Order: sequence, then structure tokens, then C-alpha cells
Amino acid sequence: MRTRRLTALLLLPGLVLLLAGFLVPAALMLLSPPGTGTADVFARLGQMLTDPYDLTIIGRTLGIGLTVTVVCVVLGFPVAYLLARSTSRWAGVLLAVAIFPLLLSNVVRTFGWLVVLGSQGAVGQALVALGIVDEAPQLLYTPLAIVLGLVQLFLPLAIVSSYSALAQVDARLDEAARGLGAGRARTFWTIVVPLSWPGVVVAATLVFAGSITAYTTPYLLGGSRQRMLSTQLFQYSSSTLDWAAASATALIMTVLVFGVAALSSALGRKARIA
Amino acid sequence: MSTRRPVAASLAVLGYLVMIGPLVFVVVTAFTAGSTVRFPPDGFSLRWFGAAVGYEPFVTALVSSLELAVLAACGSLLLGVPVALAIHRGRIPGKGLLEGLFLSPLIVPELVVGLALYQQFMVGLGMNNFTTLVVGHTVLMFPYAVRVTGASLALVDPSVEDAARGLGASPVRTFWTITLPLLRPGLFSAALLSFVTSFNNVPLSLLLQSRDFRTLPVTMLDYVQQSYDPIVASTSVLILAGTVLVAVLAERTVGFAKIFGGINR
Repeated sequence: MRTRRLTALLLLPGLVLLLAGFLVPAALMLLSPPGTGTADVFARLGQMLTDPYDLTIIGRTLGIGLTVTVVCVVLGFPVAYLLARSTSRWAGVLLAVAIFPLLLSNVVRTFGWLVVLGSQGAVGQALVALGIVDEAPQLLYTPLAIVLGLVQLFLPLAIVSSYSALAQVDARLDEAARGLGAGRARTFWTIVVPLSWPGVVVAATLVFAGSITAYTTPYLLGGSRQRMLSTQLFQYSSSTLDWAAASATALIMTVLVFGVAALSSALGRKARIA
Repeated sequence: MSTRRPVAASLAVLGYLVMIGPLVFVVVTAFTAGSTVRFPPDGFSLRWFGAAVGYEPFVTALVSSLELAVLAACGSLLLGVPVALAIHRGRIPGKGLLEGLFLSPLIVPELVVGLALYQQFMVGLGMNNFTTLVVGHTVLMFPYAVRVTGASLALVDPSVEDAARGLGASPVRTFWTITLPLLRPGLFSAALLSFVTSFNNVPLSLLLQSRDFRTLPVTMLDYVQQSYDPIVASTSVLILAGTVLVAVLAERTVGFAKIFGGINR
């Protein structure tokens, strides 16, 4: 009985923080934003899901999120595979270089693309110097710029998740397959990929959820021309003070993230059974 | 790396190029002698580093960021460690559900958490932005404290604690003399992870900013929108240097890949 009371006492402060600082404000935001009510939020939500302007933003957000996810998996998995299978002492250094950006400010990482893609930037100047174009093209404020920025941001996450999964796959299985006469490509597709599939699913989920909710990158590289749900949400809550619209946007973002998480755990379960 | 896997190797090279390439350009631009961000830079000088260190809004914002990160890291540990103890040592039903509940701030988009706190606390209740920021950052760092110290607690053999109890030590004394010292690496990892994550946070710090108290990343974002001089490049290089120091510190103590990548090698 005493230990049960002690346990409750240990949980209490954390529960209070979680309720007062997160769950209750989040629920109230959806149900009763200042000056409006639940009905307004859902009315605004209905409007957004039919209005062409809002649908463009939702579509762009999903499109960019999917593109970034595919690119991150396609680039991240090979990095993780080579690092997990390498016996070189450089592998440790390269893994550290891949994880390091996770610690670095998003603002700093994204600022790099302004230097690379800006009108005075490296890519534009190189194109002019090579005589390919007369005037440096505008590469910023395009979907391409946002995709590049988000890939840079989330690639370390994809590498880390894939690496954790790959490190658990016994390398001797690769050797066994090779010994039995399978080629490199066949070993990769029939042994390595299926066994590390749950890690790939986790990687894809984290990257997609991160991409559709990131703020810094679409703000700096997309500007007002290429709005995404996140930049639109900030616009509603800081400039236009349209609380119903802000809450409705937040609701869309949350539902998308939860949907992807549910889908991913279903896929992960399927992989374990198969 | 293996040249016998040409496809994988070229994709990997491309990956590293996208991750690291832009940072190289930031570093090069920061040392320009000219007054615009351009490539190639005009000459070499350290003038923009002097400008960054002497630019009062950035210095004030840096102090604010550090203050907030320390408070959030301490707050999340103070509340998170007891929760991890209760989940891993207490006899309670529905542990999985409870742990999921405590990790839930990680799933909800940060911008949504920020909007909720801004709307309900600052606009609704008229709370000041510093208090709201501390609460918000503590909520966001809380799951790290629960998860990282929890993982480290799972490695501590409960029979050591039982032995102390059997020898007559109270639960509190057992915690201070047995559990806490064994938890030290976990606590350090959680603190470092929280500190870095809070320092770099944009969505929450952006929505909860005020003229009196705003963090460095938010101040830099604002500056980039207004003018395009290399002071942001030099400030970025200083942040990069600070982050490298943190990474080295992490590597020397608990292991860098373990803390930030969750990779046990």
C-alpha cells in the first residue's frame, strides 16, 4: 500500500505538467479558441477542405512531404547500409558526420541553402560563369528549394533509423546468400531489404511527419509564394489573428501526423508477421 | 568505401553532399570582406565575426536561449525522472499506456503545441511569454527525460536496490545512494539532449516570442528576412563551432551516437 502511494506521488507532478501544459490547452485550442467556438473551428475546417486555395496548400504539403520521404529513404538507406557493413575505421567517423546535423540548429542548416540557391548564390553564379544562362535564375521560393532544404534536415534521421535496423541484421546472412550463388543485387533485395524493412518504415514515418510540420525550411526557402500548412498556420495565428482558421489548420496537421503514425504501425506489424 | 557497390556508393555520396555541402558554403561566406552574402566571397576578413559578437540583439537572444534551455532541461528532468522511476519500478497497471501518454508531446506537431499554449495561456489567460515558454519547452523536453532515463533505468539491476532495501534502507535513501549514482550517464544524456533540442527549437519559441524575450534562432530568422548581410553567416559559424564542442563533450563522456542517434555500438 505504501509503495502504491509512493508511485502515485512520483507520477503526480509529471501528470500535472502533461495535463496543464499540453493536453488541456491542446483540447481547448480545438474546442474553444479565444472569441469563437467549436462550431466555428469545424465550419472553417469544412471551408478549407473545399476551398481551392486551401486545398492547394494541403496538396503542396503532402506532395512535398512524399517527395522528401522518398528521396530521404533512397539516399539514406544506402548510406546506412554501407556504414553498417563497412569494416573500415572511417565508418565511425562518417556515421558521426551523418548524426551531427541532428544537433545543429535548423536555422543554420537552412541558411546554407540561401547561400547556395540565392540570386548571388553558388549555383546561380556557377551557371552564369559556365555560360549556361545569362542571368542567375531564381531558385529560391520554389518547391525544389523546400524539398532540398527538408531532405538536408531529415536525411540524418533516415540514416539513423535505417542504421539501427541494419545493424541488427546478421551480416553472415548476406555472406550465406552470396555463398549460395546469389549476386550482390539479389542478396540486397531478397535478404537485406526485407530484414531491415521495419527500420525503413520507421524512417519514412519520421521523415514524412517531420516534413509536413516543419516550419523554418518552408518559411525561409518557400516564402509566401510556396505556403505550406505550417507557414499558413503561423500566418493565421500571428498576422491575421484568425483563431478558428489557425485551430482548423492545426487540426488538419495533427490528423495527418496521427494517420501516418497509425499507417506505419500497421505496416510494421505486417512486416513482423510476414 | 567499397567501389564494388557503385550505385549505393554514388547515392551515399549524394546524400553527404546534400547534408554537408550547404554548411561548407556558410563557413566560406562568413569570412567574406564584402558586405553581401554572395559566392564566391569578396576577399577574406574576420569583420563579420566582430559584427556578430557586437550585435546586441543577437547577444541578448543568446543569453535568453541559454537561460531557457537550462531551465527546460532541469525542469524536464525534475519531473521526468520520478515518472521514469514509477513506470519502471512501481507496481501499476497499464504501464504501456501510461508511458505512451507521457511520450505523447513527441507525436503532436510542435507548431500545434505552440499554438495551443499561445492561444490558451498568453492570449486567453494573459500569462507572460517567459513563463509560457518555460512551460512549453519543459513539456517538449519531458518525453526525452522519461524515455532516456527510463532506458538507463532498465539497465540497472533491481536486485541491487532490493538488497539495499533488505538491509534496512528507506526507499528515499535507496534512491539517493544506489539508483541515482547508477543513473548518472542516463541523466547526463537526457540533460544534454534536452538542452540542445530546446536551444534549437523554432516553432514554439517563434509563436511564444515577445519583444522582451526571444530566442536566438527566432531572432536570426527575423534578421534574415530583413537584410541579407553576412552577419547571419558568421553567427551560424559560431553556433556550428559551439555545436561541435557539445558533440565532442558528448563523445568523450557517454558516446555521441548513443545520445543523439540512439545507436548502441
